Amino acid sequence: MHHDPREHVAHLVGHLAHYLPAQGPIGVFIHHNTLHAFENLPFEEGVVAAARLYGTEPFMSEAAYRRDLDRGRIQARDLDTVLAEEPNEPIIAGLDRRTLRRAMLLPGVREFDTGTVAWRLAEGDLATSVRPLAARALFDLCVKRSSDASEERRPAASARPLDNIVHPLLIRLCANYLDQGMAYWPMPNRALGFLGAVRELMSQPVFFAPHGLRGVAEAFRRQNGQDATAVLLSLLQELQVEDTEEFLRDELLALPGWAGLFHRLEEEPELAPYQHVRASLLDYLAVRVTLLAVATNDGDEGELPAVGAQRANPEGARLARAALLFDALSSLNFTADRLRSLSATDFARLEREVQACDGMERRRLFHLAYERRHETEILSPIAQHRGEAVTLPPTDEARPTAQVFFCIDEREESIRRHLEEVAPTVRTFGAAGFFGVAMHFTGIDDAHGAALCPVVVKPGHAIAEQPHAADEHLLGVRKARRRIWSQISHALYVSSRSLVRGWVSTALLGLFSLAPLITRVLAPRTAGRLRERLHEAFFPEPRTALAFASQEKVAGDPHHELDLGFTTQEKIDRVSGLLRGAGLVRNFSRIIVVLGHGSTSLNNPHESAHDCGACGGRRGGPNGRIFAAMANRPGVRAGLKAMGIEVPEDTWFVGGYHDTCSDLVELYDLDALPATHQGDLATIRGQLDRARALDAHERSRRFEAFEESRDANLALLHVEERAEHLAQPRPEYGHCTNAVCYVGRRDSLRGLFLDRRAFLVSYDATVDPDDTFLKRQLGAVILVCSGISLEYYFSFVDNEGYGCGTKLPHNITGLVGVMNGHASDLRTGLPWQMVEIHEPVRILFVIETTPVRLEATILSNPYNANLAKHRWIRLATLDPETGAVHVRRDHGYEPFVPEASGTPVVATSMDWYHGKRKHLPIAKIAAGAGKH
Amino acid sequence: METSAILLCLLVAAPGLAFLTLSLSWLLGAELPEHWVTRLTRLTFAVSGGAFTALVVILAMQGEFRVSAHLGDWFRVHHYTFPLVLLSDSLSLPMLGLTILLTSLIAAFSKTYLHREAGFLRFYLQLHLYFFGALLVLAAGSFDLLIGGWELVGISSVLLIAFFENRTGPVRNAIRVFATYRTCDIGLLVGVFLMHRWADTATYSDLFSAGELHGTEAIIVALALLFAASGKSAQLPFSGWLPRAMEGPTPSSAIFYGAISVHLGAYLLLRAEPILLASPVSATCVVLVGGLTAMYGTLSSRTCSDAKTNLALAALSQLGLIFVEIGLGLTTLALFHMIGHAIVRTLHFLRAPSMLHDFHQLHSAAGGPLPVTGEHYDQWLPLRLRLWLYRFAMDRGHLDHLIDRCFADPLQRLSSWLAGPVAAPAPRTPQRALNNVAEGLD
Repeated sequence: MHHDPREHVAHLVGHLAHYLPAQGPIGVFIHHNTLHAFENLPFEEGVVAAARLYGTEPFMSEAAYRRDLDRGRIQARDLDTVLAEEPNEPIIAGLDRRTLRRAMLLPGVREFDTGTVAWRLAEGDLATSVRPLAARALFDLCVKRSSDASEERRPAASARPLDNIVHPLLIRLCANYLDQGMAYWPMPNRALGFLGAVRELMSQPVFFAPHGLRGVAEAFRRQNGQDATAVLLSLLQELQVEDTEEFLRDELLALPGWAGLFHRLEEEPELAPYQHVRASLLDYLAVRVTLLAVATNDGDEGELPAVGAQRANPEGARLARAALLFDALSSLNFTADRLRSLSATDFARLEREVQACDGMERRRLFHLAYERRHETEILSPIAQHRGEAVTLPPTDEARPTAQVFFCIDEREESIRRHLEEVAPTVRTFGAAGFFGVAMHFTGIDDAHGAALCPVVVKPGHAIAEQPHAADEHLLGVRKARRRIWSQISHALYVSSRSLVRGWVSTALLGLFSLAPLITRVLAPRTAGRLRERLHEAFFPEPRTALAFASQEKVAGDPHHELDLGFTTQEKIDRVSGLLRGAGLVRNFSRIIVVLGHGSTSLNNPHESAHDCGACGGRRGGPNGRIFAAMANRPGVRAGLKAMGIEVPEDTWFVGGYHDTCSDLVELYDLDALPATHQGDLATIRGQLDRARALDAHERSRRFEAFEESRDANLALLHVEERAEHLAQPRPEYGHCTNAVCYVGRRDSLRGLFLDRRAFLVSYDATVDPDDTFLKRQLGAVILVCSGISLEYYFSFVDNEGYGCGTKLPHNITGLVGVMNGHASDLRTGLPWQMVEIHEPVRILFVIETTPVRLEATILSNPYNANLAKHRWIRLATLDPETGAVHVRRDHGYEPFVPEASGTPVVATSMDWYHGKRKHLPIAKIAAGAGKH
Repeated sequence: METSAILLCLLVAAPGLAFLTLSLSWLLGAELPEHWVTRLTRLTFAVSGGAFTALVVILAMQGEFRVSAHLGDWFRVHHYTFPLVLLSDSLSLPMLGLTILLTSLIAAFSKTYLHREAGFLRFYLQLHLYFFGALLVLAAGSFDLLIGGWELVGISSVLLIAFFENRTGPVRNAIRVFATYRTCDIGLLVGVFLMHRWADTATYSDLFSAGELHGTEAIIVALALLFAASGKSAQLPFSGWLPRAMEGPTPSSAIFYGAISVHLGAYLLLRAEPILLASPVSATCVVLVGGLTAMYGTLSSRTCSDAKTNLALAALSQLGLIFVEIGLGLTTLALFHMIGHAIVRTLHFLRAPSMLHDFHQLHSAAGGPLPVTGEHYDQWLPLRLRLWLYRFAMDRGHLDHLIDRCFADPLQRLSSWLAGPVAAPAPRTPQRALNNVAEGLD
């Protein structure tokens, strides 16, 4: 408790800000655990606590789990396994908790609520159930003996009528203040901060005060230039607030999206994409509470009475409890006589146990079983497969024809697998897509540089793309023409929205818009190609190199305090770090491709969410490119050799980029490729082209709009069109299928169809005796993958509460986020179109090491240790020597017993997935097993 | 009947039939899969578009762009008849073509945009209803029939604003739009009533050829029609509903508030041009309303920082100019302006969700910050006035508050006074169910 009230309020707000969404401006989308603030609680408790606070759902609905039970996605044995791990105790003679709960899950009880139970008893399904005399007797006895208890009611979201008055104005103020250049007039006085700017503005005299806010101008004028804390303190007094914390929390959570953005921009002002604004959460609160006080004084109760506030209904509550008891007892074949014979204490205990297994508890148990089935379906084939391929590493291995690095992203799993199927002599690796090169990168077409590395890393080096000396004039032409194009486009944008210029551009020039309108709607791919052609014709593209990538470090950049380029030693560190981390220390092929990734799409405010998370929500092409350029340096090769990594002289690295939306694969700096390697390049280029078409084909199996065909090239056309389509709300499914993360040698899992559901991190425990690289890998991988997994989990289980609902009414605001329609909270989280085929499971890490080594590594990182301890992630190990699988449980690592059913074997991936839309179990792909 | 008349009937009837087919199959419980809805939609647009093209070709060969179809009278009461007469001339033909073209583009766009959305069928149902309504407004040969189309466009517009019916925001805003529409429809009803009263007809050909309305009569009818047109085209003082209409899916915002529906008010005035221009009073009113709306629209849109509302208000300023043009008698220009504006705005709305992408491209091509906006004429204003104007514009001219205070609140008070003290609804107790239990226990 702070004695100074000013400090107290500031402290409270700082503390409560943790409950706000951590999403910044939407142009750079970083996946993170939506419930990061609850990670200090065990998962199942945390989600329920959050559900209570936000009025959201912690799990899927019980009906959804029951559907999964019906279709075999959850099995009875999973429920048994889960219940066996829960504490058990006897309730009454002949009945223990486990038996009771088992019966309440399967065959199960119905859900009853106070509002409808009476009707259901009178003329609904309950009436049918109690028609038999015996059932009737049991039910009546349940009603008679049931005790009264207060029902717990969740706060109704719209029980705050004054919000209807305050929000329209407040939202407009927030949007205009944080606007990054969409409104023609920027908000005046933004330098004064939010409170100052709003105060200046709202103090203006008006003809009609806003509805329900009479006196708002005086209220702001009366504040006399006080700062936000002082304003808040006096308002708290004026409103006679008793519990300050509760009051402030409710005020913050009334519009969590806007409040959260103020908070994020206060913490990191540089997140604002184009215009820095002074954001302060205290300012926001001061404005909000001022408006609230004015609305309170005005006394107008808002447009509509509060909806959703339920009347107390003690009889309904009692009936609902009795009905639940009845269902539970019926499923145990209890008779009325047996119930009647129970003593009062026995009955009380029984009733308590039944009521304790309420809807929330049943959903928790169902969810655990749901995840348990997933675990079994993943680990069984892995254990089996590993049991068959025990000769790892393969002896007298032939030299691979090529080695290709991809990002660990689960979306790259399919293209890797297809590449391995197309070219059995190619080996693939997975490494976090910034490839260990954290940098501030500026391309020739970029206005500003951007950090291409995980958000937790602050880059210390700047890299700029520069034209070859011979092409410098081309760059000049390009820049000048692009500037002109930008000026014209911007002028057209502005003028079409203004009055007089708008008259010219609509009345006189309007008809000219017909051609782009028709082509972009009816032939998006052609329109895209045409635009590209025009681009190429008008903006000549110079050949470029990454400046300082292949030279020595020159000097520090005084503005960003960044070093320009990397020294030879820094280059050696980065290259060796990546190679050793991935376990690639010998048997290098003649050509090694390093592919960064990203995603391009239109009509998609969430475009950045599909980019590379390891590159800070941006496209990772430059990282692959610079890594290759570094690794080709003779000085670096010499350094590697000194470290014992002998890269043959005839090995050449090529950087590249894979677009996960259009499945484009682009390779860089091919003019530098030695003539001797042209053949190798042609081979791998051809193999990559085939693999990307097959990848597009595998992805298209999920899209209903793709008419089934075995022709992979048609699928490639289809995904290219999706990327260019203005009307396409799901250009790609993104991380929608993520569920597993494998850290280990590719060879242990090569040839398994993982359905684009597994992040694949290359790591070789046999060359990492002291777990240095495991620590490094897990430090980044767990943070990134758990963030993705949990964001998808929450956006799926409550898409309106944690996600941002359907994309269709989304309306971009101020270039910082999306609203629903014209005045809503800023919507955070993922839209339904991105998560609709997701299976909400906590991510299952399968790590190729021993339990002892893993535990020590996990514990050495406090963040990871906390996630593991509180079960926000699931962990399993795959022994690098024996192939034995262990699963981490609360009490320690438990040997995994695979289920007996064999893994299906098919010739190619296409044979397995073709014609199927749903998630597929793991299968063995004969073609993908590879040749060693 | 002539071929051209048949074609005119066909092109109007096609979406109506499509709507009936879809709604009947829905009512009968058939769950039509998306591709069936798409196929039927494609067929509808092929029929409408084909009929329109054929019609234009035939008329061009005849050399006279005018066709009318008399389908008899719907009903007759005393000396009042409701004639079913369609008419297409040089005014409605371009608008018909535009409507068919833009609506079919929106229908094609929505096929992808609404794919897998729960309300897919509902969306197309309402799109067909709107399409039928709009064609009816444009092809009607009398004001009586025009009202029918006018109402269909209104109701489908309201239903699409409330498309996300499980949220309070869209429903609440849709109700407000509905109320505005209904209020302004009074103008159309009164206007048509007066036409019948004073000229014994509301059929264009009779009404305009004979020059039936004169002097004060013409002014009153023209003002009534202006009232109706202002509602549909969101002119002052009814402009407040337009931003609220942005709750629906983006393609419906495009076709209603960028393209066709908001221009129907202007079309109504163009239709009634002879009455309107009969007296300088009514023409001046149209210029005044349009001019003020144009100023209002451009001011409001300047402070608007979200993509869709910004577009809606920018559209409003051009709609105001179109009204001015009509009031000044620049009919052809107004028609051109409407068509050009509808096309531009449709493309703008469809691109609205790509705005982040587009801005990013603009910025990087510019190699730095984009030119500062808002320093055009604005820089000549004193700072104090600019601040006041910003406040005025941000609050959209306090228009909603004005309507709330001067119209909605008194009306609400009046209606609650008329209704008398309302008895609080008795809490619904599960008495009956408990009685059942009690019986069982006995």
